[in-house]
Amino acid sequence: MSTSTIEKTVHKGNASGGGLARRQNFLTGLVGGIIFAWLFWWIARLVGDQSSRSFSDLTATSVTLGWLFGFWLGIGALNGPFRWLIGRDQTREDQLYYAGENLGVSRYWKFTTDHKVVGVQYIVMTMVLLGAGGILAMAIRTNLITPGNHFVNQQVYNSFISMHGMLMILGMIVAVAGPWANFVVPIMVGARDMAFPRLNALSLWTLVAAAALLLTTLAVGGLPVGWVILAPITNQAGVGMDFFAMAIVVFTVSTTVAGVNTLATVVKMRTKGMTFTRLPIFVWGSIIAAALGLYAFPYFLLAEVLQLMDRNFQTSFYVASGGGTGWLQANLFWMMGHPEVYVILLPAVGAIFEIAAVMSRKPVFSYKTAVGGMVALAGLSILVWAHHMFTTGWAPTLGGPFMLTTELISIPTGIFFLVLIATMWRGNVWFRLPTLWVYGFIFDFVIGGVTGIYLSDIPIDNQFHGTMFVTAHFHYVFAGSVLFGAVAALAFWYPKVTGRFLNETMGRISFGLTFIGIQVTFISMFLSGLKGMPRRYSSYSMLFEHTNFITTIGGYTIMAGMLVLLAAVITSWKHGEASGPNPWHANSLEWMVPTPVPLENFDVLPVITEDPYNFAEKVDH
Amino acid sequence: MSLDDTISTHSEGHDHGHHEAPEVVDSRERFGVWLFIAGDMVTLGAIWFTYLYMRGTNTDGHWMSMLGYQGHSYAWYENALNSSAGLPAATTIHVGPMSAGLIWLVALVVAVSAGIIWWAEKLLRESKNAKAFSNIALLGTVVVLLAVILSIVQLRHIPSIFVANNDSQVMAYTGYSSAMMMIIGVSMVHFIILAFLGLGLAIRSARGAITGEKWFQARLVRIFWVWVAISTLVTTLLTVMVNKL
Repeated sequence: MSTSTIEKTVHKGNASGGGLARRQNFLTGLVGGIIFAWLFWWIARLVGDQSSRSFSDLTATSVTLGWLFGFWLGIGALNGPFRWLIGRDQTREDQLYYAGENLGVSRYWKFTTDHKVVGVQYIVMTMVLLGAGGILAMAIRTNLITPGNHFVNQQVYNSFISMHGMLMILGMIVAVAGPWANFVVPIMVGARDMAFPRLNALSLWTLVAAAALLLTTLAVGGLPVGWVILAPITNQAGVGMDFFAMAIVVFTVSTTVAGVNTLATVVKMRTKGMTFTRLPIFVWGSIIAAALGLYAFPYFLLAEVLQLMDRNFQTSFYVASGGGTGWLQANLFWMMGHPEVYVILLPAVGAIFEIAAVMSRKPVFSYKTAVGGMVALAGLSILVWAHHMFTTGWAPTLGGPFMLTTELISIPTGIFFLVLIATMWRGNVWFRLPTLWVYGFIFDFVIGGVTGIYLSDIPIDNQFHGTMFVTAHFHYVFAGSVLFGAVAALAFWYPKVTGRFLNETMGRISFGLTFIGIQVTFISMFLSGLKGMPRRYSSYSMLFEHTNFITTIGGYTIMAGMLVLLAAVITSWKHGEASGPNPWHANSLEWMVPTPVPLENFDVLPVITEDPYNFAEKVDH
Repeated sequence: MSLDDTISTHSEGHDHGHHEAPEVVDSRERFGVWLFIAGDMVTLGAIWFTYLYMRGTNTDGHWMSMLGYQGHSYAWYENALNSSAGLPAATTIHVGPMSAGLIWLVALVVAVSAGIIWWAEKLLRESKNAKAFSNIALLGTVVVLLAVILSIVQLRHIPSIFVANNDSQVMAYTGYSSAMMMIIGVSMVHFIILAFLGLGLAIRSARGAITGEKWFQARLVRIFWVWVAISTLVTTLLTVMVNKL
């Protein structure tokens, strides 16, 4: 593939297809959302009982519903269902238009069904979510740089904590699975697109609608109740809570649709010869995470639906005076909450395995054990939720069993390290940017994993629960591990998206700043926690002054690293070094197709005769 | 694996421009429907968990009772507030279980609608009569719309209790009533989806998009419809059998 073919935009568009979709894009979605939000607000005020204590909640919830409906209508998400209803199925021209054929850059702003466009859109959404969460993290750390600092007031600080937590969680959920399960997985399995292209676009734009609701929460009173939104304190929150709950409901719809699509694509659309044992290991990470998400997110959906019902209709799910209990919310939340950690982690682990094998020129060590470890981790993760409630007093007799299941998690996690290190051991390691982030992942995940074993132990958890030690632990897992996995995946597959390498120098500077920043931030945070500093406080004793100062400096360093990465992504897109179609000399199918990848990936579908890790070819690095 | 030995002329295509056999598309879509049903099963499990957890916990004995005022209204509340005595002390008000007959009726109606759709699909596949299929699918839709109407009636009859203090008044719901509102509401959303799908089957078959040869979508809808009917029946059994302490 010649570099001159990279991203040549043709603006003439498809000749006859598309229909109404020709006039629909993100802007019409935005306008539709705003109009219908206003319309629903107006109707709610017209028919609602203004003397009722739930009137403001009903109005707010109506606005969120109006926004979602209007946005879907405006962007074109409802065109397909409507046409199905009236029996006017899409023609081939329509399908090509929806797939973005010849639409140029404008296809990124439309309800485009091509999986590669959706993958790129997910990259942008991930950056938006993590960027917004990162800005809030900087505000939080600035507030905590010295004791008694009032950079923001306490209510705003509480809202920032909640929003930082949830933006980062949502961002992390889509950070690897969103871009890469969409962009590369269909090609990896030898398919021409995802199983349900329209649902693919729906999942992306529904995520956009959810993100808008989530960010709006800050403008309508915030969410000063903590990111785990435990009842009954949520009853004290203003209408921001309604926006937040609806954002989660909408988000779970998006992830469910995306999960179904990924699973159906891999199970039903593998090309001939692509047996399950020949699947690239990243595909396994993606489908196990998708299946786990299908199990986990309905709990979150229900937890927030009940929250909305309590606030809007005076039900008593989480209200003790009406026969409800906050423990119901805690159980539903954590039944989702712990599997969700592995929904986030497994795609990153799969990507790290993939990159380690390609960059070491060796097969994934004990491939079946690695897959078995991922399946075991997913299975165990649904049996550990109550370890988040050890100190709440809920079902103390179940503490022992839950401690055991939690500690068992360290076995498949240990297998990951074994597989990863053995894959790279004595390999002909190519020390490029993706490899660097893989090393960072291994280092940070050891710390995140080992500190998790401490917290699974009830006597220790009784001491550490609610302290900064826990915060540091899960930040090592998310920021230290998943983020590094996500950046490794970005650096690895960036050439396939753009035809250019991610700038190596800037990438290495970003790695250095982020890696050092992570250690400075979270080791000092561990020390704060060991000394007993509680989480979520906007001010603290002088006892924690030095460690917090260091943590804040470390936080700024991470942000600097991420800004350098952002600059690298933007500048390399047009001006990076040309990479060709297979810069890493890899064997999996995504590297066998031209770059940029043509609309339907393959002219003829390939037949697979061996696994993708047979690196017989000598490569001079 | 290299480009030369992996790419060959395997012509099974997909979507936009490449022709795919209807059986291949159907197999994929059927798998997708089963995955959505799997997600729905987890949601249903979470709903059962919620119902049983609240009933089992019975916080402060409020599964079917609550402190409030019997049969009072907003006007009564205003008068009481303005009187010299102020609001009287709230008393424990008990609510009874909802009409089991009505709950079973809804389940029965949905089961009948599922039977109709199943019959319609069978007829389409065997006699290839798309016009008859369209009419019978429309009948199934009308029946499931009846379930929607009955659900609205149920929602209007969920027992509530008048709760008030010096700042505000509201009709509130006990644990049992809350759980029933959730179950009826979630079921109703499913019935509305069924009505949409049923209407789609009727219109599409009338316009020739579903025929005796192209019946796969009828089966997809029937699978989901039967699942909704089964889940409604089982949930009905749960809520009717397990409601009192």
